[in-house]
Amino acid sequence: MPNESLAQLSNTLFSVALITYIAAMVGYFFRLGFTRFTSQGVVAGTAAGRRVGLLATGVAVAGWLVHLASVTTRGVAAGRVPWANMYEYSSILALGAVAVGLVVVQRRLGYGHLVGFVLAAAVLSMTSGLLLFTEAGPVVPALNSYWIKIHTSAMMTASSVVIVGFVATALSLVKDTAERRVAARSGESYVGSTVGAAQVGAAAPAGAAPDDRTEGRPDGYEADAGVDIGAGDGEWASPLAQREALSPVLFPLVPAVAVTVFVLAVWRAPGAAIVAGSVAALLGTAAWYAVPFLPPAAKLDNLAYRTIAFGFPIWTFAIMAGAIWAEEAWGRYWGWDPKETGSFFTWVLYASYLHARSTHGWRGRRAAWVAVVAFVALLVTYYVVNLWIVGLHSYAGDI
Amino acid sequence: MTGTVSPPKAPAPLPSGSRLPDIPGPLETLRIAWRRLRRMATALQLLFALAAASVVATVIPQEPVTAQSVEQWRSGVTGPGAGVARVLDELGLFDVFGSWWFAALTVGLVVSLTGCLLPRWRAFVRVARRPPAAGRNLERLSASTVLSCPLEPEQALRAAERVLGRRRFRRRRVGSQVAAERGHWREGGSLVFHTAFYLLLLGAVIGKVFGFAGSISLAEGGAFADTRIAYDAAQPGREFDLGDHRGFVARLDDFDVSYFPDFTPRDFRSTVTISEDGQRVRTADIRVNHPLRYRGMTLYQIGFGMAPHVVVRAGDQVLLDERVLLAPGGGSNLWAGTAKVKVRDPDSQIALDLALATDARLGDDGQPVLGPDPRPRNPVLVSSLYFGDLGLERPVPAADFDRGDGPVETAMLRPGKTAKLAQGSLTVEFRDLGYWSGLQVTHAPGRSILLAGAALLLVGLIPSLYSYRRRIWVEATPDGAGSRVTVAGVALQRKATFTDEFDAVVSALRDAVGSRPPPRPEAGSQPYSQPEPAPSPERSP
Repeated sequence: MPNESLAQLSNTLFSVALITYIAAMVGYFFRLGFTRFTSQGVVAGTAAGRRVGLLATGVAVAGWLVHLASVTTRGVAAGRVPWANMYEYSSILALGAVAVGLVVVQRRLGYGHLVGFVLAAAVLSMTSGLLLFTEAGPVVPALNSYWIKIHTSAMMTASSVVIVGFVATALSLVKDTAERRVAARSGESYVGSTVGAAQVGAAAPAGAAPDDRTEGRPDGYEADAGVDIGAGDGEWASPLAQREALSPVLFPLVPAVAVTVFVLAVWRAPGAAIVAGSVAALLGTAAWYAVPFLPPAAKLDNLAYRTIAFGFPIWTFAIMAGAIWAEEAWGRYWGWDPKETGSFFTWVLYASYLHARSTHGWRGRRAAWVAVVAFVALLVTYYVVNLWIVGLHSYAGDI
Repeated sequence: MTGTVSPPKAPAPLPSGSRLPDIPGPLETLRIAWRRLRRMATALQLLFALAAASVVATVIPQEPVTAQSVEQWRSGVTGPGAGVARVLDELGLFDVFGSWWFAALTVGLVVSLTGCLLPRWRAFVRVARRPPAAGRNLERLSASTVLSCPLEPEQALRAAERVLGRRRFRRRRVGSQVAAERGHWREGGSLVFHTAFYLLLLGAVIGKVFGFAGSISLAEGGAFADTRIAYDAAQPGREFDLGDHRGFVARLDDFDVSYFPDFTPRDFRSTVTISEDGQRVRTADIRVNHPLRYRGMTLYQIGFGMAPHVVVRAGDQVLLDERVLLAPGGGSNLWAGTAKVKVRDPDSQIALDLALATDARLGDDGQPVLGPDPRPRNPVLVSSLYFGDLGLERPVPAADFDRGDGPVETAMLRPGKTAKLAQGSLTVEFRDLGYWSGLQVTHAPGRSILLAGAALLLVGLIPSLYSYRRRIWVEATPDGAGSRVTVAGVALQRKATFTDEFDAVVSALRDAVGSRPPPRPEAGSQPYSQPEPAPSPERSP
């Protein structure tokens, strides 16, 4: 039975974690603002930036622990796995994203100055979770099966992984555009580091790995984790030129419009739409500011491919587990229920992406756009199908 | 994934001017179509078309899933209007996955897949059979290193074979070389993955053709025999004949539903006894997520409702004595249904509209007050009697009859009570209250094939994404008392990580042959296997 006081505690901890993440995010953006290029082409914070950055890391870690406690108490309070509805899923998604941001992005890859964006994504996910808040409670009999642990957690893992893939794809497209424009302006013959490189380069032999992007690059191109400007002292202003090559208007405008429309469409809440749109505009501006600090497009593209290639088998397995579960619960393994159709659609698009990566004439930016469309399909499957379209999966806010 | 299609060339260049375009003959057309189908780009386009079809099916209601919405669209109550709905109907958009063009799309994909797979399987078998080839000019490969070792060449090569074997390389001795390669399962896995779709398709088709799905509603104590006529609704596959029914008898001994304190259902449980030829075979519980499997048929819990036992008498004559199945009547505490009495005379037909409230306490004014409890703790049955020409002989849905001027009389009954209606000429007894349970009976024969297909698909998918082809050669030539060992390698995919893998092989080999690590700045050595750990100041500005 739902334990009232524990559930209350979980909600309080959730709010505390959310506020802590926002504080840490501000700290991380402060750190980004104080990140500079040195003559070696790497980024280094100023003393103030470093100190605030360190503080932000501490705050983020503390927030993550509080968040973990919130998820755990939620599970204990409801007496089941804490991922049975969209609120809980959004919360776990944010928990995973922050962990990935701190451990992988900051520690392993050394892109600590970009963790602010990961925190922003976590905050957005948690806010959308609040809009879908459901009291801690038991699930309907159809969901009461050990398959909920298998199917739903596989779906969640796969979605979380491909979210990273999407972010990397979107950033690689942005960075690629910037790199191309800067190259075009300086009139260089451009070889190598962009997403389109494979398209320009010689045809790979059939069956070759689609991620052979690292070829033909100058030696040591990926040697350090910092920002590679691919050139020497004389030109070290060129990363900042990447920023100037991109429109400062479109960057806040496009996400603002997209997010506003999305929130209006899903929740029909004009107030929330305006707030979310403004936040998206701010984030867009921050992304525009951060373009020179991003890893090279080829690296981002490679990261995108590898995360999606990691998420795809999990997604496949999740669909299969869902089919087995559906056979047990509803008496048929596949019935083209809107949710089933949606997840199949997303699967087909990600399969197309993987194929496009190894198809001549589709590599590069075109394949990247397929990945973007696939992610939009995932969002539609997750939000719109759940909240709008009547089917067996619509338990009003449940997964 | 073959190259571009080249149209057949005319033998000699014709003079320019008025010239008919080359029109390929029928055979040539077929060949061009086949080549085009085999291209990956075609497969991609077909995949996108499939995706587009499923979008359409998500947006437009589908008849097999939500038949009611489709009816509403057709009649123009909701949706874009009746005219548009007719066009959608014409295009088969209300049943996308059953439409001819979706079938055509599937066939196109299967043909394209076959065209892709046949040559690839052939090539894969050829490559997998061929032993690793000897390498030449090993020192010139980008990943290459030279070790000096105290062992004789033969022993050094044997050690190399062991090291490579541990890393699951296929090995072959060619002269003074060990040629090794791994990662064939990248292509093999991809082939297995794609071939698994034939199994999935086969399983789905078998399920469709030889399968059966039927539903039935049983009141507690009721039974049905597994024959075609017993089912309320049946969807037999084309090859599932009347004789394929098992003929067993299933009796609903008991049904039980339990609730959480907020009155959302916790569990539904049907206790069913199966018997054959009058012999009891098995008694089992059927719950959501826990179906009962018996002789290839699976019984699922799909619905439930209230089933009051109603007896209608005219004097001593019993006109009706049955459990009436009530459907949800708005909210989990209200149920509604109809009971019809079969009478020969069309002018004295009798029917009852029944409504049941599960939680009807008596208020202070003597009127029942409805509570939210779905458990039948305080049930009350409201039965409205209709009499006269009700049109019962007409084929109408069970709940329908000609209600005319409304009920003759209405009585409110508690369980075990009887009411006199129509000046005492009729009595209606609410004997007791039970449940009915909705069961679905399914025969899905392609299931194991589907499961095998799904398993193969996953098994193939993983190496096709994560396995990489690598070749490594180890050559040993006599050098004084020991030997000079050259190690070289090539990565066919994901070259970025090969450096580390190659270094690991080299260091394992070095341990195995007892070679001393070479002095750091060894002349003529490999810049590749020992990358600069950090950007050094010497790096060219």
